[in-house]
Amino acid sequence: MTELRELARRLLSEGTVNAVLGWEEGPRGARPAFVTTPDGADRLIFDHRCVHNLASYLSPRRPHLKRLGKVAMVLKPCDARAVAGLIRETQVPRENVVLIGVRCGGVVTDPDSDATLSEATVADRCRGCPDREGKLADHTVGTAGPGFPGPSHRAQKIEELAAKPADQRWAFWQAELEKCVRCHACRQVCPMCFCDRCLADKTQPRWIESSPHARGNMAWHVARAMHLAGRCVDCGECERVCPQGIPLGLITRKIASVVAERYDFRPSDDPAVPAPVGTYRMDDPQEFIL
Amino acid sequence: MARIGVFVCHCGENIGRTVDCHAVAEGCKDVPGVVHSVDYKYMCSDPGQQMVKKAIEEKGLTGVVVAACSPHMHEKTFRRAAAGAGLNAFLCEMANVREHCSWIHEDREKATVKAIDITRTIIEKVKHNVPLSTIRIPVTRRALVIGGGIAGIQAALDIADGGREVILVEKGPSIGGHMSQLSETFPTLDCSQCILTPRMVEVYQHPRIKLYAYSEVESVEGYIGNFKVTVRRKARSVDEEKCNGCGACTQVCPNKKIPSEFDCGLGKRTAIYVPFPQAVPNLPTVDRNKCLLFMNRAKGRPDTCKKCAEACEKGAIDFDQQDRLITEDVGAIVVATGYQLYTIGKDQPKDNLKGYGEYGYGTIPDVIDGLQFERLASASGPTSGKILRPSDGKVPKRIVFLQCIGSRDPQKGMEYCSKICCMYVAKHTMLYHHKVHDGVATVFYMDIRAAGKGYEEFSRRAIEEEGAQYIRGRVSRMWREGDVIKILGFDTLEGEPIEMDADMVVLATAMRPQPGIDVLAQKLSVSYDQHGFINEAHPKLRPVETNTAGIYVAGACQAPRDIPDAVAMASATASKVLGLFANEMLEREPTVARVDEGTCAGCFHCERVCAYGAVEHKDIKDRAGNVVRVIAYVNPGVCQGCGTCEATCPSKSVELQGFTDEQIWSEIQALGV
Repeated sequence: MTELRELARRLLSEGTVNAVLGWEEGPRGARPAFVTTPDGADRLIFDHRCVHNLASYLSPRRPHLKRLGKVAMVLKPCDARAVAGLIRETQVPRENVVLIGVRCGGVVTDPDSDATLSEATVADRCRGCPDREGKLADHTVGTAGPGFPGPSHRAQKIEELAAKPADQRWAFWQAELEKCVRCHACRQVCPMCFCDRCLADKTQPRWIESSPHARGNMAWHVARAMHLAGRCVDCGECERVCPQGIPLGLITRKIASVVAERYDFRPSDDPAVPAPVGTYRMDDPQEFIL
Repeated sequence: MARIGVFVCHCGENIGRTVDCHAVAEGCKDVPGVVHSVDYKYMCSDPGQQMVKKAIEEKGLTGVVVAACSPHMHEKTFRRAAAGAGLNAFLCEMANVREHCSWIHEDREKATVKAIDITRTIIEKVKHNVPLSTIRIPVTRRALVIGGGIAGIQAALDIADGGREVILVEKGPSIGGHMSQLSETFPTLDCSQCILTPRMVEVYQHPRIKLYAYSEVESVEGYIGNFKVTVRRKARSVDEEKCNGCGACTQVCPNKKIPSEFDCGLGKRTAIYVPFPQAVPNLPTVDRNKCLLFMNRAKGRPDTCKKCAEACEKGAIDFDQQDRLITEDVGAIVVATGYQLYTIGKDQPKDNLKGYGEYGYGTIPDVIDGLQFERLASASGPTSGKILRPSDGKVPKRIVFLQCIGSRDPQKGMEYCSKICCMYVAKHTMLYHHKVHDGVATVFYMDIRAAGKGYEEFSRRAIEEEGAQYIRGRVSRMWREGDVIKILGFDTLEGEPIEMDADMVVLATAMRPQPGIDVLAQKLSVSYDQHGFINEAHPKLRPVETNTAGIYVAGACQAPRDIPDAVAMASATASKVLGLFANEMLEREPTVARVDEGTCAGCFHCERVCAYGAVEHKDIKDRAGNVVRVIAYVNPGVCQGCGTCEATCPSKSVELQGFTDEQIWSEIQALGV
């Protein structure tokens, strides 16, 4: 922790960056923090409650953050995939951000809980995660716990669902998506949802009905899933912030496994690895072409 | 408020038989916005078009829907008619009730209902149509010709004589191509070099032709009228400005035993060489793979032999010369890279080709191919025109020609006919007869294909007047016994096997495209067939155009061609190029993609999926001139309107003009689904 604070203080006092994005102690647990003065660096923390994917704040579509100019961001190993995705899709110039990697042995599901990190409380995406250090990081600080073994519960749930007949799967998703209130929190928190004007907000014509209605809900979640195919970094933020508890991670994780199987692409923390969208290879499967 | 006119065509019986066209016209009258709805037997006829024009003028229509055939058929017709009456052409749309309805249905009642639905969708679309104007893009009126054989020479001369600048790029050290290697040409037996070399000189001296010999096309960017071509000028190791072509360097080169490419390996050349005496440009080239100095340098040893440089009075030899990249702007490209011969029994260029090991080519020295025979018969060849066999230099008294070696043989990977072999074998028998009066020429053939002016007469002359023995059948095996080649074949007319002895055998091997044609085709974005021949845009009606606008094809890189064909194609490409260059601006359909600058997030998925390279980066600046955002921009000159970017854009910020989201949405809504 001292190491992280000293580094943040140095970056701010030397003027390397204008702000450091990290976590601080909030009234109900860990919360994202924007430190803009060297003295503020003492507010920074990092522990197993720091679940948020701060890469969302790098999106150039957030004008109040863009005004901060060059920033440093505290980076968990998994967040590196999101930063790499933003660099890959020309949203963030690499030289505009300093990445402070923190060694990580897993986080809990809920940042507001005061639970300790254990087999029972660990976030599902951390199960089987092999990364203890973020590869993109400019600086790496801290020490990491041993991590947690897989497999994840979601993977099991996806297998269970896939084994069911289509009408039962349809019924499952209709029941789940009926709960959606179209608050679009899943979109707002997603680091890869960076469009200025979302497809769902387009009114001429309105492709996706905006009211919380079964038809529009289905259209929205199908469109979101397709837009994230080959782009989702599996940070789990959409599922965490969903006020209705819809298991959105099942959709994104399933899509990711299909992309991995068909196009041999897994969310990578290397911005130079081309994403399957817009990449053509001679050995791409194309049995769908008649 | 929209004022739409609907015009339903019977197309004679084509639509009228299955669709009640009058009911369609009546059924559309009630659609909001429709102020005029009629049917007519032939809407595309002059009276039909007059109906459209009259209605536009009299009723002040703001949109026209013609319910008739496919837009591919008559969209242009009706748009022209609409424009003639003062309506923007792009406010006129076709509802396809023929291919999409009457031709594929039988139930008249249901087909009529469907025809009304189809027409209604287009009525709703037209309400959202906006006037568009054709895109005008400037044309760079210079042409690039790739390949300096007879086709490339002809194309370059014709374009240059037509008043436009030409850049001629030739891979080898000299232009002239295969034609410069030939002895005499069918069907007139005139000397190949005598008719070719004046043209080569003409190219060299033409004020509007820039010749880049010993150069290759490195990359091609851009689009019709506006190509940017990078040419790699390979290092000759000779300063072109200083060299006066005296040839002193080639005299002193100690490495004299290199098989000459020009003589097809039958003659020798030096490491610094001019491929043949009439070469254009008349400049020597150092073969860096064979030059002692460069071989030493490759091994990290010091430079030893510099004999050529010492012999050169002009100091033109430059061992440190580097490849140079030159960029040229051109508006049109002619591909004329020509052919190579199928290299039987040697290294095969592609795995799916099989050699003819049974014919001993490459192992029996007196089994040669057609081009090698040309060199033997040529006055400029290694034997000064005497027919002498390679093994011992004796005059062969029994010579056998085999046709269709590789060609018309699916088992060898080439099912096509190479077209020229029947004729050049007949010519070879004559040339042989003229030089070896007591010799016997025998030809094994499958068919004699002599379709061309004077061709049949020529091949008959070989058989009837020049004593060539033609045997219909194939040879199964050849082997050497002493200095005799034993031939085992089958006469399919007599129905019996044949055994004969020969002193020399000439194989009429298949014509294949040049190696590396696939790489060039990919640089140019033109398609090619399974053999590597460049595809023409239409086999009958657009034979010298490729599927990429502004790129044309001439000669044997498109299919096996003889000289008259190649020259005719070359002149045809020149006429296409000059036609393109007749206008300063090029007109294009405005149905291209357009980016909404307000909502584009600059993720550039569109750039990655665009097959035409039409998506560019555009800086959005604030008032102080600082770049605040970088977004996508679709170059309307390059865009082909395929819509892939539109489908890929996550925020739906790209729209295809004439097919906007609103138009498509309205069409769907009209169906009430």
